[in-house]
Amino acid sequence: MALKELFVKDVQELEGDGFLFESLQNLVKWGRSNSLWPVTFGLACCAIEMMAATNARNDMARFGSEVFRASPRQADVMIVAGRLSKKMAPVMRRVYEQMPDPKWVISMGACASSGGMFNNYAIVQNVDSVVPVDIYVPGCPPRPEALIYAVQQLQKKVRGEAFDERGTALPMVEGWSRT
Amino acid sequence: MSSRLPPAPTRADDRIPRLGDFETRHMRINVGPQHPSTHGVLRLVVDLDGERIVRLKPYVGYLHTGFEKTMENRTYQQGITYSNRMDYVNGFGHDLAYILAVEKLIGARVPERAQRVRVILTELNRIASHLVFFGTTLLDMGALTPFFYTMRERETLQDIFEAVTGVRMNYGYYRAGGLYRDVPDGFDQAVRAFGASFPRYLEQYDTLFMENDILIARTKGVAVLSRQQAIDYCLTGPSMRASGVALDFRKAQPYSGYEDYDFDVPVFEQGDIFARLMVRRVEMAESLRIVEQALDRLEPGPIIDPDRRVSLPPRRELETSMEAVIFHFKLVTEGFHPPRGEVYVPTESARGELGYYLVSDGGSMPYRVKVRAPSLANLQSLEVSSLGGLFADMVINIASFDPVLGDVDK
Amino acid sequence: MPTPLKEGAAALEALGGTRGEFLDMISVTLPKAALIDGLKALREAGLEMLTDIHGMDYLTYPGHHGKRFAVIYNVHDVAATSRLFVRVELDDGESLPTSTGLWPGAAFLERETFDMIGVEFDGHPDLRKILTPEDLDGHPHRKDFPLGETPTLFNEGRFLDPATFRAGLTGRDEGLTGWKGGTRHGTVATQPTLIDPMMARSLKREAERQEGEGEE
Repeated sequence: MALKELFVKDVQELEGDGFLFESLQNLVKWGRSNSLWPVTFGLACCAIEMMAATNARNDMARFGSEVFRASPRQADVMIVAGRLSKKMAPVMRRVYEQMPDPKWVISMGACASSGGMFNNYAIVQNVDSVVPVDIYVPGCPPRPEALIYAVQQLQKKVRGEAFDERGTALPMVEGWSRT
Repeated sequence: MSSRLPPAPTRADDRIPRLGDFETRHMRINVGPQHPSTHGVLRLVVDLDGERIVRLKPYVGYLHTGFEKTMENRTYQQGITYSNRMDYVNGFGHDLAYILAVEKLIGARVPERAQRVRVILTELNRIASHLVFFGTTLLDMGALTPFFYTMRERETLQDIFEAVTGVRMNYGYYRAGGLYRDVPDGFDQAVRAFGASFPRYLEQYDTLFMENDILIARTKGVAVLSRQQAIDYCLTGPSMRASGVALDFRKAQPYSGYEDYDFDVPVFEQGDIFARLMVRRVEMAESLRIVEQALDRLEPGPIIDPDRRVSLPPRRELETSMEAVIFHFKLVTEGFHPPRGEVYVPTESARGELGYYLVSDGGSMPYRVKVRAPSLANLQSLEVSSLGGLFADMVINIASFDPVLGDVDK
Repeated sequence: MPTPLKEGAAALEALGGTRGEFLDMISVTLPKAALIDGLKALREAGLEMLTDIHGMDYLTYPGHHGKRFAVIYNVHDVAATSRLFVRVELDDGESLPTSTGLWPGAAFLERETFDMIGVEFDGHPDLRKILTPEDLDGHPHRKDFPLGETPTLFNEGRFLDPATFRAGLTGRDEGLTGWKGGTRHGTVATQPTLIDPMMARSLKREAERQEGEGEE
């Protein structure tokens, strides 16, 4: 019996904290965070600044977002750039559900984060009510540098180095436990 | 087409179907709102016969924001924050159209320096808008590199706009009666430096894409829109001028001092995609001419109408004059009250005829704001020009009409 | 000298229109039955470009005694020297004949007027909503359709109803917000004064104490 317990404890050690799995996890963290491919979800003015973040001056490709995949099946992160109207909300949910896990969402701009200056019948007041948002970027529109900073913060979150506002560490995203 | 074929075999029929027995139907494809080449959230339902388009219906409204109703609940001064977010690529164009309507309604007189600065900024914005047009149109054609070239020039322009207004995009710089504040020192040098370097870049664009054999083969003779069709389908702007209708509101009904400047308006007769590209290419050079002429004539002077019913008093006056404080308070909290009436001022935006139909009931907020946005009317020409063409050509046809979905959906 | 504007306006007045003018903009109000003939006459007179069709709801316009809606057609000639506004006045439930026979490009413009104001166009090939979502009932630009503002909730527990706030600033009445929310905890703020949480708590204690004294 004591032998069995010892055996179970060894397996747990190997699964949790062993050297091999630790470096595998590091590899996964490095790979995921440095190759975040966004899906093209530009809606309005913020889309132009998102395009400006990919141009030669503020090159977002050097941070890993080399290509904006048109197909959500090949993308990791959805940058909601622009005001989300209530007619577009089901479409956005569908695109989000088509993305494979692990996936993240950056809500870019004031309109996506809170409805912005449009507090009316047509605009969804916070994109978080449709998809779970990881990073909010304020601005109307946010500068391309702000978007790049947001992508860098998301990379920290992907690697498990992020903290919430109370100071507790946010876990690294496993991918399959989020709705 | 299916009526010429023999009827399809029914289930009771045991015959092995032969080639002539098949019934063909048109394939209905949804080019959904999320698509890399629809220039925003435009949805098209396309019926295809093989690769040829037989029916094309645009579905819009995926970016409907309720601008007009929201602007009816904001004062006239606050409306300037909304107008540039409609057509976000040509923000100064919408700002100018809105503020001209407000000024006509309240009867404000704009000083000359403010008018010249407005013309400079609006024309630079037209160049910036056409640069985005070229970048995205060529991206749709599969040319990835020119996007980076045109965006490089646009960054220079956005630096100028940022120095003047404080933001790269979505400016709220115009006020009823003039401008928010004067242009900074170095504006003249910055714009002249841009003007000196831009013709070289225009030549670069010519060799890079405008004289490119692939572009010419893909766009010449494709998606032709005749002159009568352009008039019937309420098309305006550069796309209309590419079909032979010589109308530019800067020449026909000049506003903001455009009658002082010497510039040409390109008009082409062919009506194909290449003509629509050429119109915008020539317009960029003509806009630069206007900018340089306006810069030459820029004299120091006041930048806003001193009428206190309309514009805020300068800050140093607030320290000494009680009336100035009262005017400031009333204008900021309540806003000015134009007389009752309805105005419409047509302007030429980068996309077509743009005008704000403002209705005032004497209060501080407009009673009704109707934006005559060019892109919604321009989208109707999409169907008639794409019919019978290939699906791949439809993609660049959409791009050639330059719709901005914020402008379509308001 | 006959310009397209003069000819067109004269033709419309012959059909029963009344002319109006404001700040060098000419408008002619036509009876509904004369609309299509009037537009055809305008096309023949040279005003062959249709710019815009839009609707107006005069429900809360102060001093308006006519019919509730007006549909305005904005036409001009190719040289843009003449511009004419053709107005038709309607009540709720009345419909207009479509002008897509004259200008196929009126299709989207009439659909937008239908969507926003609710005026139907007889004979339109495809009259359905164009801008608003399919599940939105009502016509947003009517004056009895609320703007739909949601209140803003602050961290200290007070919430701001935007229409009341604006009414406090401008002195106008609130209008419709369309917010049918339930009770919220906190105090409704109508002025933009910022009360810090300690002040808010002490004010609340004061009020409760006074209430307690009042009961006694």
